[in-house]
Amino acid sequence: MELTCEQLAAMAATIGLNLPAADAENVRLRLSALLTEMEGIERELGAEMDRTEPVPPVYPHEPS
Amino acid sequence: MPRAPNAHGVCAANATKLTMSSEELAFLSVAEQGRLIRDRKVSPVELVQTCLDRIERYDGVLRAYITVCAEQALASARQVEREIAGGDYKGPLHGIPYGVKDQLCTRGIRTTVGSKIMADYVPDFDAAVVTRMNAAGAILIGKENLHEFGKGGTNVFFHGQPRNPWNPARNAGSSSSGSGIAPAAGLCSGSLGEDTGGSVRGPASANGVVGLRPTFGRVSRYGGVMHGWTADTIGPITRTVEDNAVFLSAIAGHDARDHLTSKRAVPDYTGALSGDLKGVKLAVVHEMAWADGVHPEVRTAFERALLVLKELGAQISDLSLPWTKHAIPLNMLTSDADVASMFVPLLRTRWKDFDVGTRTRLATAALVPAAVYSRAMRARAVVRAQILAAFERCDALISPTHLSPPALIEDAREKVESRVDVAQRLILRRITTHPYGTANVPALALPMGFTQNGLPLSLQIAARPFAEQTVYRVGHAYERATSWHRQHPDLERSLQPLLRASATAEGYRRWN
Repeated sequence: MELTCEQLAAMAATIGLNLPAADAENVRLRLSALLTEMEGIERELGAEMDRTEPVPPVYPHEPS
Repeated sequence: MPRAPNAHGVCAANATKLTMSSEELAFLSVAEQGRLIRDRKVSPVELVQTCLDRIERYDGVLRAYITVCAEQALASARQVEREIAGGDYKGPLHGIPYGVKDQLCTRGIRTTVGSKIMADYVPDFDAAVVTRMNAAGAILIGKENLHEFGKGGTNVFFHGQPRNPWNPARNAGSSSSGSGIAPAAGLCSGSLGEDTGGSVRGPASANGVVGLRPTFGRVSRYGGVMHGWTADTIGPITRTVEDNAVFLSAIAGHDARDHLTSKRAVPDYTGALSGDLKGVKLAVVHEMAWADGVHPEVRTAFERALLVLKELGAQISDLSLPWTKHAIPLNMLTSDADVASMFVPLLRTRWKDFDVGTRTRLATAALVPAAVYSRAMRARAVVRAQILAAFERCDALISPTHLSPPALIEDAREKVESRVDVAQRLILRRITTHPYGTANVPALALPMGFTQNGLPLSLQIAARPFAEQTVYRVGHAYERATSWHRQHPDLERSLQPLLRASATAEGYRRWN
């Protein structure tokens, strides 16, 4: 996934963020890299993910 | 009344005079300091003053502290002295000076979270862990420097650049930087840090001390300025494993104000320190120990550590956890997004008041699509399940805490100018610590030796949820069989000539 500057600006606008030009490329590189990583994770773990609920690993109900 | 220190530093509060320099006192373990205080051979006032003197001498360079509570700490020490003299001894932390990451709220003392934005925030309440430490008789000496808002990746520190006491040109680890520096440099007896993906273990590793990420739910998060609600933990950083167990014993346990804390009883952590590893099954995680790019001196030190653990009676096997490599992007797509969601209003209005590393990381996480977030949460559960399954075959997983010695400060900055930077500066350097944050299991970092240039190296031990006793048992046995924890930085040597320069700079920063 390689986001364009225009796509990034549009995404940012949806949450009211106006990214300064000096930082936009930094954010674009980071987000593109993370989304690319996620594509790889989907390829490797996607089937297992389909069978797994996204329950956070927190422990509120341990027996006393 | 306490006596003034003599020409050699510290003198005795009781009849038996100690011949000990202030530096020797500063670097004693908490267990040793506690015994001397209990037996009234050292006054808590002397111990606190020793730390304050060292802060005054060295912290202009090291920048471990954002706020030093000098007068308050001395007043508390005098109160503790009266309590002990009156026969009211509370236990091993009574009279012990500690620091906390400036992400944990302290009543009447500013809590900056390492930021310009919250530089003047003064809470009217204490974090639960501060309340518990104070109840145990420990003395808060200051608020410790950190990466802005606890997110690793700060480029320019608003409250001063933290420096590694072993070599001030080197990185002090992130994000609880000051909480690692302070005990390593003898500026307190121990610290409390916060660990989402490695923020306690990283500074422990870089500064040559012991750091624990406890099981999520073991320690109350109440009063911490942190929003990674599925992964944030608060853990101790100390000079020995035993000290770490003492700290954890004080802060662990259910707290109704943090509904995700466990109601499990808190075990006797120091009771687990048998020194014996007979029958203990350890597994080396291939991807975290022998990964591409592991520094040759880290590899050698780890191989030696394995020999020591074998000699202690541990059974050691190899194990592969191939999905752990996904932990870093998954945490950035989920836990970072949880944090970023709380900062969007500030990102809109005060963009330039954030450090560039923080604001770009938070903005990135704020833009993660909901569908990707949800899928990443599923993937986290899958990766976690693989790690938990490993504990069916062993008692603990081991690896180096980091694949490289502490980097030069400039090289450690998370500058992002290419996709290669994202891989190298953001992802690969975290490959050994993030998996246990993803799995939410206890993980201990402790000294494993030094490079030829004198930089600390670190061993990491992880166990199944709520098995802190296991990581302490293994770590303590290894520590006893080695001498790494007895080595401390010679600050007069390592910090010259920066000490002279700092003497004319800001100097001592007192809050009182």
